[in-house]
Amino acid sequence: MRFIKKTHYNQDIQLFKHQGQLFWYGALGVALLLSPLVLSDFYLGELSLVFIYAIAGIGLMLLTGYTGLVSLGHAAFLAIGAYTHAYLLAQGWPFPVSILCATLLSSLVGAIIGIPALRMTGIYLAVATLAFAIIVEQVLSHWVSVTGGFRGMAVELPSIGSFSLDDSVTFYFLCLFILTGCLFLALNLLRTSTGRAMTAIRDSEISAQSMGIHLAYTKTLAFGISAGFTGLAGSLLAHKIGYLAPDSFTLLISIQLLLMVVVGGLGSLHGVIYGALFIGLLPQGLALLRDTLPPALAQIPGLEPGIFGLILVLVLIYEPQGIYGRWLKIRSYFEEFPLYRKATHKRQRSYLRTERLK
Amino acid sequence: MSLLAANNLSLSFGGVHAVEDVSFSVNKGEVFSIIGPNGAGKTTLFNLISRIYDASTGSIRFNEQDISQVPTHRIAELGIARTFQNTELFEQETVLRNLLIGQHVHRRTNLLQEFLFLPSVRQQELRFRKDVEDVIDLLDLQHYRHQVIANLPYGVRKMVEVARALCLKPRLLLLDEPSSGLNPEETEDLSFQIEDINEELGTTIIMVEHDMNLVSRTSTRVMALADGKLIAVGSPVEIQQHPEVLKAYLGE
Amino acid sequence: MQFALARGFHFLEVLQLLVSGISQGCVYGLIALGFVLIYKATEMVNFAQGDLMMLGAFFAYSYINIFELPFYLAFPATILTMAIIGALTERLLLRPMIGEPHFSVLMLTIGLGFILRAVAGAIWGNEPRSLSTPYAGGVIDLNGLIIGYENMVIILGTAALCLLLYLFFRFTRLGLAMQAASQNQLAAFYVGIPVKRVYSMVWAISASISAVAGILVAPVSLIDPLMGFVGIKAFAAAIVGGFGSLPGAIVGGLIIGIVEQFAGLYLPPGFSDVSAYVILLAMLLIRPQGIFASMQRKKV
Ligand SMILES: Nc1ncnc2c1ncn2[C@@H]1O[C@H](COP(=O)(O)OP(=O)(O)O)[C@@H](O)[C@H]1O
Ligand SMILES: [Mg+2]
Repeated sequence: MRFIKKTHYNQDIQLFKHQGQLFWYGALGVALLLSPLVLSDFYLGELSLVFIYAIAGIGLMLLTGYTGLVSLGHAAFLAIGAYTHAYLLAQGWPFPVSILCATLLSSLVGAIIGIPALRMTGIYLAVATLAFAIIVEQVLSHWVSVTGGFRGMAVELPSIGSFSLDDSVTFYFLCLFILTGCLFLALNLLRTSTGRAMTAIRDSEISAQSMGIHLAYTKTLAFGISAGFTGLAGSLLAHKIGYLAPDSFTLLISIQLLLMVVVGGLGSLHGVIYGALFIGLLPQGLALLRDTLPPALAQIPGLEPGIFGLILVLVLIYEPQGIYGRWLKIRSYFEEFPLYRKATHKRQRSYLRTERLK
Repeated sequence: MSLLAANNLSLSFGGVHAVEDVSFSVNKGEVFSIIGPNGAGKTTLFNLISRIYDASTGSIRFNEQDISQVPTHRIAELGIARTFQNTELFEQETVLRNLLIGQHVHRRTNLLQEFLFLPSVRQQELRFRKDVEDVIDLLDLQHYRHQVIANLPYGVRKMVEVARALCLKPRLLLLDEPSSGLNPEETEDLSFQIEDINEELGTTIIMVEHDMNLVSRTSTRVMALADGKLIAVGSPVEIQQHPEVLKAYLGE
Repeated sequence: MQFALARGFHFLEVLQLLVSGISQGCVYGLIALGFVLIYKATEMVNFAQGDLMMLGAFFAYSYINIFELPFYLAFPATILTMAIIGALTERLLLRPMIGEPHFSVLMLTIGLGFILRAVAGAIWGNEPRSLSTPYAGGVIDLNGLIIGYENMVIILGTAALCLLLYLFFRFTRLGLAMQAASQNQLAAFYVGIPVKRVYSMVWAISASISAVAGILVAPVSLIDPLMGFVGIKAFAAAIVGGFGSLPGAIVGGLIIGIVEQFAGLYLPPGFSDVSAYVILLAMLLIRPQGIFASMQRKKV
């Protein structure tokens, strides 16, 4: 176990709490910077995708993991970001401006859809966002002049001026850079008043209000910020997949995003990264699995979502704190080795905590 | 001089008259206790003052201002803080973060500054932390600073809730049954802490309380409620001997 | 069941749409009823309700078309099967979740839905199947208003089921116990109602209702693993009606069923598919508590 002598309140505010953390994150950073030297284009592409998922995941984590608002429709913001960016690029807008506008538009739409959400909690909100996502999917299919309808639309290659961002190494660095920036923003948010107000709302609306937190404002804000991050991820995703069609942004994608934050570990940004790795690598794993399964089973069309579902169920029942929670347990087991008690991380259940009046 | 004045407050739920035509006023610097049997309407009265419920009739003035129409979240800014009968803490957060949330009303930075964690934000965070530590010292919560609420015993949670309310630096503090669930020793501590809060911080306190011992020791005046109606207001001794109050407690 | 009718506002056409809408709405209503029952009793939201319906339809298909049971035997057999599956689901998946946040339960049932779809795909395949019923194909002609037997059966079946449920909750011991448990779990526990067993029963009943919905709708909409997606519309129906209200579920279902039919004929393509969701969002804006309000604020 590490005991840290604290001499200044600043130490509780720092992003890196002690030298050890700084070292390990630094090492990770260096490894990521050097990986283009060793990894093939394919794996760089896969890693870029993981980064993109992580950016979207930050958005959803802020909303669901930290503000306690569930969205079953985040694929819609991914779509809005992707389509806006692709459309603006096609109109000849420069890349940075276009990506910024796509982010802001997603954010704005998020804030607007958040408004009916203000008066509702839990399930109402989940269903409202679901409804919204389905409507967006229909709009994408029918607004042919902008989105190309069912045929879809091609995305122009990314470039700043004459500098192309398209080859896999540059795109990898672009995604890494944006992800790092997003993590920085999210971490800052969470260690200041607005972030705390969000977690307050998650844990008790009534008392958040009595602490002077404006529920409607904070929830709208959370929605806007969340949609912004996800929209940003969407515009990067547009380049990654190269061709946009409505069926790239279905309910299944929304659920995948949720799966990511749940499996990674709700209420932690580490969880986002773990979750993104998980979601990013899952298709590879499933491909392997398909090869080993008897053909009769491997050919089931719904197999992939089915396995998603299975993982989701197992995680929720056996490890509700996700991969990150599991990692914390393993770590404290070794740190406290002979002394570790099983009950250390016993989870607290909210028995009989009900949101409705009895 | 009166800090809070309620005039003819009423509220009913369906057929239940939870609060019926109650008027009272609380002076600056007082410790004002409200007693009454269960279901008398004490908590409802708190919910009316903190604007969680709208009164069906009547008005509330705080500091010479009518607050009957003020939105709920503005109440804290005006200087009214409260605790809840069954504690409503931010369960998944540490004590420290709970108290920092209590500082929310003192926030002077905007979203953009916070996203970038500009020096002004850091200054503010350090200031918040210092104020929080003062409250922690006042209520002896040093050991629990970094613990998550969900793992704390009930008595400590009660005190954390008081601490969180104090972080608002309120002019008026509403305590809903602060001693329920505390052991005698903790209750004893509580009575000193209430005096400290009242005298050192100069905070006016309204307290719903069943423990008459605690009430007598701390309160300047006591108000008795029964079935939503005001029965009597007076000094602790007067109230304890008041025939109507005795009747309300003992039944007909 | 669609007839090519000339556009315009003919009385007969409107009536015809109304009948289709009501019959479709009944199906939404029944699934919504399943949601609401579970929610009222256990405060859990079951997103897999539509998939339970799908499973019910497939079981009915197996009993009738594969095992060639007569309809009057296959019907109760399907209901029994689904009741058992419902109770098992509660016991194995939901019981461990008691006390977990609502969000986790919601996610769990979403996951369950994906699993059920994959399992159904594995067992029955993905091509649409049709269920043979003794009443297939017939129509009633009421002065030009044409109603298929299938639709008649849906409407009458729903009405009968509602009556049955009403009597059950009103007059049987189990029904009353369920009501008590849904009003106050703790108090119900103290007066000796076996709350956990009641939960299993609620799931069993709710799955049975979905089974009925599945059997009723199968003749008009074909059976495939994805048919459970109407569950989302049923969800919208439950909220429009006022989540937590049983009559509200049916009324919400009817509203959505009817509006969809009219939107399909009178509005450009695409609108019919989203009309349920537009109604939902509009409702949440105007009257979030739904038509039959039953939700109140938390008490502190
Ligand atoms: N939100 C509510 N909905 C319905 N009835 C309520 C509500 N809040 C309080 N009541 C009723 O009002 C009466 C007074 O309650 P309360 O103010 O909590 O009493 P106490 O004096 O014990 O704090 C009780 O009969 C209670 O049941
Ligand atoms: Mg009370």
